[in-house]
Amino acid sequence: MRRLAAEAVVIGGGAAGTFAALELRRRGVKPLILCKGLVGKSGASIFAGNLVVPGRLLGNTEQQARDTAEFLIRMHNHFLIDQHYARAAGEWIEREYYPELERAGLYLRRDKRGAIVTNDGPVRCMAAHSQGESGVLFMDLRRKQVLQAGIPWLEETAVTALLTGAGGAIAGVMALDLARGEVVAIESRAVILATGYADRFYPRSTATREMSADGIAMAWRAGVELMNLEIQWWHTSDVRFPLSWQRTQVYPNPIIGSSHAARLYNGDGEMFFDQEADAPVAMGPYTIQLKRLAKQVLAGKARFDGGYYSGFTHVAPGAVTAYTDYAKAFAALGKSVAADTLETACSAHYRQGGIVVDPATMATRVPGLYVAGGVGGHSNGLIAPVTYDGMLAAETVANDLPRLKLVALPEDKATAEEARLLGLRRPLSGNGVTPAQVKRRLRALMGEKMGFFKDAAGMAAALAEVTRLRDELLPAMGLTNVTPRLNYAWLDAIDVANMLEVAALTIRGALHRTESRGPFYRTDFPDMDNENWLVKNILTPTPNGAVDFRTEPYDLPFFKPDFVRRPSLELDW
Amino acid sequence: MAERPQIPAGARNLGRDDTGDSPAARLARLRDGDTVTARISRFDPTTDTAPHFETYRVPYTKWMRVLEVLTHVSEELGGDLAHRWFCANRMCGTCAVRVNGREVLACWEPVEPEMTIEPLRNAPVVRDLVIDRSGYEQRVLGLTPWLERREPYRGFPEPLTHPAMAAADKALDCISCMCCFSACPVVGLGDETNFAGPAPLVQLARVALDPRDGIDRGRIALERGAVFDCVSCYKCEEVCPVSIPIVTGAIEPLKALAFKSLPRKSRHARVFLAIVRSRGRIDPSALILGVQRLAALRHPLRILKLWRRGKIDPLKTLFGFRLPDIKQVRQVFAAVRGEPR
Repeated sequence: MRRLAAEAVVIGGGAAGTFAALELRRRGVKPLILCKGLVGKSGASIFAGNLVVPGRLLGNTEQQARDTAEFLIRMHNHFLIDQHYARAAGEWIEREYYPELERAGLYLRRDKRGAIVTNDGPVRCMAAHSQGESGVLFMDLRRKQVLQAGIPWLEETAVTALLTGAGGAIAGVMALDLARGEVVAIESRAVILATGYADRFYPRSTATREMSADGIAMAWRAGVELMNLEIQWWHTSDVRFPLSWQRTQVYPNPIIGSSHAARLYNGDGEMFFDQEADAPVAMGPYTIQLKRLAKQVLAGKARFDGGYYSGFTHVAPGAVTAYTDYAKAFAALGKSVAADTLETACSAHYRQGGIVVDPATMATRVPGLYVAGGVGGHSNGLIAPVTYDGMLAAETVANDLPRLKLVALPEDKATAEEARLLGLRRPLSGNGVTPAQVKRRLRALMGEKMGFFKDAAGMAAALAEVTRLRDELLPAMGLTNVTPRLNYAWLDAIDVANMLEVAALTIRGALHRTESRGPFYRTDFPDMDNENWLVKNILTPTPNGAVDFRTEPYDLPFFKPDFVRRPSLELDW
Repeated sequence: MAERPQIPAGARNLGRDDTGDSPAARLARLRDGDTVTARISRFDPTTDTAPHFETYRVPYTKWMRVLEVLTHVSEELGGDLAHRWFCANRMCGTCAVRVNGREVLACWEPVEPEMTIEPLRNAPVVRDLVIDRSGYEQRVLGLTPWLERREPYRGFPEPLTHPAMAAADKALDCISCMCCFSACPVVGLGDETNFAGPAPLVQLARVALDPRDGIDRGRIALERGAVFDCVSCYKCEEVCPVSIPIVTGAIEPLKALAFKSLPRKSRHARVFLAIVRSRGRIDPSALILGVQRLAALRHPLRILKLWRRGKIDPLKTLFGFRLPDIKQVRQVFAAVRGEPR
């Protein structure tokens, strides 16, 4: 076991984690970044395509500022967001975030005369370099900033456990250095968890390869509470073929430099979603588009996994290619963006919920454990607010460090975790299963029972099946090759245990929420119920390993729904 | 309106339709029910002395990408193949491999009925298809490719137009996938050159061609990037999955900056110019002699090989070959330099 120590550990190399590390360094704290993939290359931050123009930025009118805030709170978060947090984040994004990025060299796409290019709609967005590629440029910049600042990192190193010591406080983390096949113990009294919003639970997912719910699972085992795990978003127009392109989109975001967006067509060629006409305020029309698709599915004219189409045939091709990379899938498939549509399918996207944090500080109820970004339950993982989270978490850690006690790394826990990890690198036996097979079983099950349409009976069956997979398959799991070196199957074995645990918690949360809201839909409770369920659906661990539920209402200072109960499928959010 | 030309465009795609290499033609080559045969390089340095190939047969699915073959082998065929990828969407730039000798992004490249799949070159193999990127990263870092502002930042949004950014714009597409770095024959020469390689120079060009940048990037390109060691073979442009004009849009402009900044040290450019001025066109043996001087004679076998293949002709060099209408060439030089005719 290799041993390291750090003043603060940041887990995750995306927008939230890198910014947290940079901010810690600016505040005189020496962080160590642990990244399961490669800093700035793995994680979903590279997918950030559009940048919302918030507040009065770039000449937004008062109405546009209000529409943007309402869009984010109502259509994007379905009111499951702390509105004080949303306001503070919005102000920081307007005042600090974009200036900081531009000062560092980010090129926000201009036109010939020097105006930043935006779409024409009531809620505007812009792009770095090219719409659809913004996140790549953001994260390339962050990677270089981290290198320039001399912040150390361990890449392709998966954190497998958060270790707590005396008083339940964070004492350090355990990790697997994948390239060397070596277990690492890192002593630290402050950990910022920034592992992202997604977990590849479904047959199709927008997450990057390494995202596997490990952040939520580790934090749960360390004693945090979880909330709103059941609010799963769907990305409704990703290319269906090739099968690996689960995040290659023909998406109806408004195209910058124009007033148009992609349109969706059912199997009969009838248009069923036109962002421009149907949801002009929905800059990212996730939920309304999903509900329109659900109606097509009910009518037998589309399926969630295909049989419907998306394209730009109504837009002058020059408008699609001028400022976006939206034509790239068409070009690679030898199709014409002017004449062809592509068959699309739903991919699981954000998990809106996550770890319960104090949105004013990013602290959890575990001393020394802080959260930033999509893994938190307070927000939904857009790149700008998650960066705000990173700033906030770093600020809190810098303030807390002097009074956080040094907690000795509990040797028994470290040794036990090492033994667990080494035990997972065991050869496959005759009637055993591989980790990839278990992952595939879980994904098929979630796709079948935990998709958009679900009910209590199906979810109860899913929970029983997840429990069976955990009890029967995990012990039978083995590897066809036990090399310690860069053994992704070994990593899969570590991941899949986390995934099964969090899948079970997610299903329990879904069973508990007896309403439909946003992308979360139950056929047995089809109404949105603002009287009982405009609340945080919180899961609390109990000492005997069971789960307690509690709910907590949201303060609604700025926006609130104007009805008590309505059929969710009829709402545009 | 069409400011960004749609890919594929440019010289490297000419003729693809005729040779059945267009995206549409390649997709038409296989159908559901077909089988793809992949010969994949396997290597675990902890147990193997050398890489070896193993052959796998994978059922074809519609419009299949190379990445799907690799995943199928590693997850379904008990291959435990080590291959790196994150996004499957031509963004993270970590899945590059060589397929039938050509560098491609596994996520973006359509499969061929028969493929030989190998790791990238010019980097050590960690296992199977996964290479160690750290040497490449060090080269990028050595070029300090981050913006150093000419003037203090003036607040958001700063004054800047797209035409002013146009030169740097294509380089911003770079996803650091290392395809060009693997394909570059000069990087392949190893210690014989300090050439930073195509992708690191693209990273440098991002800031060097940015009007906001204020430090001497020409000096960095020359002294740390050895930019004149580029032989303009265009291998890098040929393999770039995001169609960056690496030679014409990044390396040539960096050479120009280097020459402008350090004309005396830009020996290659000076010799090149002098040869064209005196002979009317480039003469490879004179160029090699002029740049490397006596060091050029250290490899007599290489000289013979180049001669035999017609790459150089020392006799022409010796007898001072020049174009008959050399006067016109010199008039061009005079005009460019603003000299009286």
